[in-house]
Formats: sequence, C-alpha cells, structure tokens
Amino acid sequence: MSGKRVRWMRGAALAAVVACLSCGRGPREPVGKPIVIGVSLLNLSSEFIVMLKDSMDAKARELGVELIVNDAQRDAATQVRQAENFIAQKVDAIILNPCEFEASSPAVDKALAAGVAIVNVNSETRSVPTAFVGSRDEESGRLAMEYIAGRLRGRGNVLMMHGFMGQAAQIKRDQGARETLAKDPGLKLLADQTAEWDRAKAMTLMENWIQSYGPRIDAVFAQNDEMALGAVIALEQAKRKDKVVVTGVDAIADALQAVKQGRLDATVFQDAKGQGSTAVETAVKIVRKQPYAKEAFIPFQLVTRENVDRFQPR
Amino acid sequence: MGHAGLKLRPGQWGMILALVAIAAALAIARPVFLTLPNLVNLIRQISINGILAVGVTAVLLTGGVDLSLGSLVALTGVIAASFAHPGRYPPAVPVLMGVLAGAGCGAINGWIVTKGRVAPFVATLGMMTAARGLALVLSGGKPVSNLSSQFTWMGSSDVAGIPVPSLIFSGVALASHVFLNNLKVGRHIYAVGGNENAARASGINVNAVKMLAYTTCASLAGLAGVVLASRITTGQPNAGVGYELDAIAAAVIGGTSLSGGVGGVGGTILGALLMGVINNGLDLVNVSSYYQQIVKGAIIVGAVWMDRSRER
Repeated sequence: MSGKRVRWMRGAALAAVVACLSCGRGPREPVGKPIVIGVSLLNLSSEFIVMLKDSMDAKARELGVELIVNDAQRDAATQVRQAENFIAQKVDAIILNPCEFEASSPAVDKALAAGVAIVNVNSETRSVPTAFVGSRDEESGRLAMEYIAGRLRGRGNVLMMHGFMGQAAQIKRDQGARETLAKDPGLKLLADQTAEWDRAKAMTLMENWIQSYGPRIDAVFAQNDEMALGAVIALEQAKRKDKVVVTGVDAIADALQAVKQGRLDATVFQDAKGQGSTAVETAVKIVRKQPYAKEAFIPFQLVTRENVDRFQPR
Repeated sequence: MGHAGLKLRPGQWGMILALVAIAAALAIARPVFLTLPNLVNLIRQISINGILAVGVTAVLLTGGVDLSLGSLVALTGVIAASFAHPGRYPPAVPVLMGVLAGAGCGAINGWIVTKGRVAPFVATLGMMTAARGLALVLSGGKPVSNLSSQFTWMGSSDVAGIPVPSLIFSGVALASHVFLNNLKVGRHIYAVGGNENAARASGINVNAVKMLAYTTCASLAGLAGVVLASRITTGQPNAGVGYELDAIAAAVIGGTSLSGGVGGVGGTILGALLMGVINNGLDLVNVSSYYQQIVKGAIIVGAVWMDRSRER
C-alpha cells in the first residue's frame, strides 16, 4: 500500500469519526427536546456497576430522557476526560459514578464551573456535587454485626475479614462493625485480618483461623460475600459450619443461593437498582428545576433465609 | 549436568536453615503450628502456588519469564467451570479443557517469543492482559458457579489423609524433576538458558525448546486454575491476581536464576514451602494485616540473602 493511499485512508477515517461525533446528537431542537444526561461509570466489568447501569437505563426510558453512558474502566483520568466531553457536548446533566475520592474530583469541579448539574452515585468525591445518591457503607457493617450479636445472644467470639486495606468500603464496613461490637461487651473480636475481597484468600485465612482458634470461633463477619463464601467452604470442610454464624455483604447471586440453602447465614443487600433509578430521577428533577434531595441515602437490607426470596438472584 | 534437581546445592542448606528457624519460632509462638492438622492444611495451601512455581521454573531456566500465569489461572478456571455444571460432562472433561486452554495460551506465548522475537516480559505481559479480558468476556464478568460435586471433590477431599491438591502438586513436581534432569530435552532447557548461542551451535533446536517450556508452564497454570476452581467451587474471572509473582518468587527463593540456566524443581519446592509457612504462620500468630506485608517482604529477601551469601 502506498504512503499516499494510507494517508488518504487515515484522512477519510478521521472525517468519518468527526462526522459521527457531530451526527451522534444531531442539531439541538429549541422546543420539547429530550433531556440528555451524560453518565460516567466506574467499571462496566463489575457486576454491581452493570446493575446500576441497567436500572438507570430503565428509569431513563420511563422518564423519556436520553443517557450517554461511558465506561471509565477504573481510571480517574479517563473519567475526568469523559466529563469534559459531556460538558463540550452540552449535556443537561452529568451522573458520575466516581473512580476515586480525590482523583475524580476535577470532573465535579469542571461540571459545576460550566454550570452543568452533576449527581454523584454510589461513592463520593472530595468536591461536593449538585446532589449525591448512595448508601452508607457503615450501615452494612452495622447490620451484619447486629445480626451476629442477635444470633449469639450478645455473647461470643467473632472474627472479621477485611477487604483491601485502605479502600473506602473496607474502612467504613470496619467502622460500622466496630461500632456495634463496642455496644456489645459480650462480643469479643478474636482476630481480624485481610483476605483482599478474594474467595481463595478467605478460604486459606479461615483454614488458618480454624487451626488457631478451633472451637472458640462463634461467628465470622466478612466484609464482602466472596470472602464469606470462602469462609463457609473452609468451615464446611472442617465440619464446623453448624457451629459458626457467617455473614457477608453485597448479596451477589452466589451468596443469595447460599443463604437459600442455609449455608451462609446472612448477607447485606446494597440496592443498585434503587441507587441507579434515584440518580436519574434526581438529575431530571434538577434539570426541570423541581425540588430534589441534596443527599439521598438508599438503605441497605439484611438478607436471611426468611426473606431471601424477595431478592432476585440476577 | 543432570544433578540440579532434588539434590541440594551447598547454598540451599541456607534456605533449609531459614525454613527450620522460622518453623521453630512459629512452633514456640503458636504450638498449634506443628500439629498434624495444621501441617496438612499447610501442604494443601501451597499446592496451587507450588504447581505454578514448578511450571515457571522451566521458563526461568531458559532465561525467559512468564507474567501471564495469574490471568491464565482465572481464564482456565472459568473455562473449566463452564464445563463442570452437574450432569453435563464427566469430570475429566473440565480438567482437560482447562489444561488444554492453558497449553494453547502457552503455545501462543512461545510462538510470539520465538518467531516474533518479542521479549518474554512483553509477550507474556500481553497475554496477562488479554487472558484476563477473555476470562471476563467468557464469564460475562460474573463468577461461574453451580459446579458438580465430582468436580469440586478434587479441591476438597483427601486420599489417605493427604489433600488431593497436594497429591497433584507432588505428581507435577516429580514429573517435572524427571523431565528436567533425566530427559535429553530437559537438559536442553538448561543449555538454552546457560548460553543460547552455544546451545544453538551444538545443534539444539532452541526455538522448539522454548516453545516446549512456555507450553508446559502454561499447561500447569491451566491445571492450577482447575484445582483453584475446584477448591473455591467456582470459576472466578478476577481470581489469581499476582499469582505469577508469587510463583516466580518461590522459584527464585529456591535458587533458580532469573537469567536462566541455573536452578531446579527441588529448590522451587523449598521456596513454595517457605512462602506457605510464612503465610500460614503470620495468620496463626495474628500479625496485623498491615505488618504482615512488611514481615513477608523482609523474610523473603532475608532468606534469599542468607542463601546467596553462603553460596559465595
């Protein structure tokens, strides 16, 4: 292929891209135009974020608004660039599912400076957005630990598995769990250790704990379901599961199944559907200049064998 | 040549000394460390890293490296799991599919390294990213669960008191030892890593030897992926992150040179054992999560330092 032809093709490709970019939204109609919301999501290869997106799509269809959904693939710099593009495209509002507390903040600052309303969903940024929709992660730790306290009637030895040390979810779930422990002097935290959200690591850790503490273990609180399931498998193999209460957080499909089978005692449901639809609702209210909640907290729900059928495995 | 395997070099006594010292300290701090159930626990826990480390030893011996192992564990685990649903196929099928998938990826690694003359670091880094992506695509980003009890038997059961994963690891270690030391092609692996030009001049088909090393290594990653999926009763697309570094660390701790030609399976087993003892011991003593990482790093470097200084 000759150099000239390559250059020509490159030019054509560029022109096509530019044309696409400009035709994507078409000319802006002055009256009755649909509201357009730009959405930048943390990472579409995570099950929870996909749920979040699906509920946003459903709510957008219901309200007749258009969503432009971008995947930031866990990279805050990409996310900030996406926000800049939304601003340049003159969207009516932005929904941001932040990658990072600090590094995603410029996305919020730039939107506010350009006069575009921005709603943070699921996690926070240092910069304060127009509105926030999410859940209080402390609450999940508290709910799980309160369930354990109830099952043990306020007396017993508890082990806790942390997520990645230093991540917001780990810090807050730890905080919520410890608040509950502090209120119940009969509950003793025997040991706590990280298994990095990982089922295989949790299984190894639980095996080591069984060696170390054996019959003294009354309950395990894992800060996510993957780790809780790892603990369950290790306890089952050591034939101790019937003597130990295990709880997780997230209500992933596997965990709901395990709760149904009575293998896992409880998990905590974080309402992706509620968060996604409320975020779209809030953004639309802001654009329509209707009253809206500056902070909307979607409650967590404890899932046990009694109510597990209300939570659809996805 | 041919005596680099289970027979200890003088320097490896340093490693054994370190192992014994750490084990003794742990036994004093937590007597439960030396009980039979915990030792069984320990040999079960080192199996997956052990299988990977034995595989990567072959690649390191040729002077190469394989960074794709962790991602391959995830990919092959997902593939195996999707063939392991109850009542679908006999349990041999998922095992075979996992190992074959690993072999295929290893052949691609080897092909890129030999035919494409791409540095092993880059070639296998590419595979590391691509295989992780493929694992996510095949699983739709979700764990593949609902596996048959015949399949999960492998990861959860004992035969004569010895965990099945440990039996698999022992088999792999023994076979690799024989392969590296008693077969001509095994000695060619040492020759290629020792001096590639000399090996070529003496009529060794260097490319074929390297292809074999990468394919074998990745097949073992496939086997490790199968064992892990069986152990945690699901195929996880995000499993195995960082496993390649643990495997390389075990091999290097055990005396295998990162520049090729020197080392062997015997040392690698010691390396894997040392890492397993550290992990198990720190949990038993309940060292805080933050300090665990510092202690782990210090012990690994300290052990290798002790080993190398005795060698000189």
